[in-house]
Amino acid sequence: MTAIISQDDFLVFREYFYRKTGIRFESSKRYFVDKRLIDRITANDCASFREYFTRLRFQANGEELQRLTNLLTVNETYFMREEYQFDCLTSHILPELSEHLPTDKIINIWCIPSSSGEEPYSIAMQLLENWPMLRNRDVRLLASDINTRMLDMAEEGLYSERSIRNVPPTWRARYFSRVGDMYQICDELRACVEFSHVNLANPVEVRRQHAIDVVFCRNLLIYFDDLSRKEAAESLYDVMSPGGFICLGHSESMGRISPLFTVRKFPEAIVYQKPWEES
Amino acid sequence: MALLQKSGQPRPAPDDPTGRILDVEALERCLHDPSADIRRRAAADLASCQQATQWLLTQLQQETIPSVRQVIITSLTRINTTEAVQGLATCLRAEDARLRNDAIEAMKQMPDAMAPVIEELLQDQDPDIRIFAVNILESLCHEQVENWLLDVMDNDASINVVCAALDIIGEVGTEIALPVLERTARRFNDAYVGFACDLAIRRIADSRPAS
Ligand SMILES: C[S@@+](CC[C@H](N)C(=O)[O-])C[C@H]1O[C@@H](n2cnc3c(N)ncnc32)[C@H](O)[C@@H]1O
Repeated sequence: MTAIISQDDFLVFREYFYRKTGIRFESSKRYFVDKRLIDRITANDCASFREYFTRLRFQANGEELQRLTNLLTVNETYFMREEYQFDCLTSHILPELSEHLPTDKIINIWCIPSSSGEEPYSIAMQLLENWPMLRNRDVRLLASDINTRMLDMAEEGLYSERSIRNVPPTWRARYFSRVGDMYQICDELRACVEFSHVNLANPVEVRRQHAIDVVFCRNLLIYFDDLSRKEAAESLYDVMSPGGFICLGHSESMGRISPLFTVRKFPEAIVYQKPWEES
Repeated sequence: MALLQKSGQPRPAPDDPTGRILDVEALERCLHDPSADIRRRAAADLASCQQATQWLLTQLQQETIPSVRQVIITSLTRINTTEAVQGLATCLRAEDARLRNDAIEAMKQMPDAMAPVIEELLQDQDPDIRIFAVNILESLCHEQVENWLLDVMDNDASINVVCAALDIIGEVGTEIALPVLERTARRFNDAYVGFACDLAIRRIADSRPAS
């Protein structure tokens, strides 16, 4: 028998999932949510939503919540997405940071969310190809997501033609090899992106990072409500170095989220900066 | 120099007392720490703790670093109780315009907790406080908003407070506003009020569904 999700069940679940992840499902997403919940209720042999929900909430290791989260997050991404920001990174952001920071200071770049890895690997290629100063500076690339399945895929580094459609042919030749109808990213790049599981809605998890100089937080905050967005911006501020930059997705604007950052307009992109000093 | 190879090890973080799991009393002490970073983290961690409301409100009045202040306000917004709103409402009397604005922005996001407090604010002796209350109503998602505004238009003695309410009714008013708009135009013999009331009446009439 298939379980039925009532309107009350939906509201109870929505509030719980929101508190855990910051993601707010509008009523228009009801079908999307119900379908996945019913799949998990069936897979767990539960007779009702209530029975499943109790298991979900009280399971000590959080495994079921993780599985459900893996099903309920939208992971769409591709290589070189909104690449004008990567150009901004190598033409303005990194040169400016390099000028201010001691020469032996490692620059830490953090992609959260990274989804299946296309974004951090794109940044790695951009640095290798378009930032000659990489010869004089160490850069650490960190990447995190809440979805463990996406993190596994990122570590594996196997991509479809569709995912790499915007990668220039010379880069393809240099950094990918063909495996059947898929493309394997080379070991050199895989070895230099450090993936980890982080929930941006949990400040304690965010604090596993520190001294971050550039954050890419693109196309996630659109799924949060205003208050969760503000909390996320404040958590990121907390782990960023003074003078650090944050890049958001094209439909996201820090002006509407938090006043903590200064707007920086570069020819390629508008980005946000943590002040060097706070008055 | 290059892209660093991943280590697989967590990077050692600088020592931070709030990084470890602390009890709420310890977090309260961190709220007064000399380091702004520690105060900010303590304020963020107290968001899940209703009993911290008064601690956060007390620190808010003393806090000089804007980012810590922002995080305190965010945590009070997350706590979202009438007690938190009442505390934020006292910030409307602060000298510091930034603190007042931050408090207004926060209260707009707490419609249910706000309801009992807004009625008090709309009755405040000080017309400036009543104007702030009207400003909060501008983007408060609550079904009573129009009624509160119409009440102001019918009863508030200050023309400035009424004009603030009228500006919003001009944009969002519905048919129930029509008699109030007519009364308001008559109550104040003032060119601007008359003009704004006429404009609002016409807008509402034009948006009536054709029968
Ligand atoms: C649309 S993708 C964006 C990926 C990439 N940044 C881009 O712009 O192409 C959104 C990602 O956010 C992740 N996500 C959702 N909620 C999250 C949270 N609370 N913490 C961390 N990642 C989250 C999802 O798992 C998903 O992989």
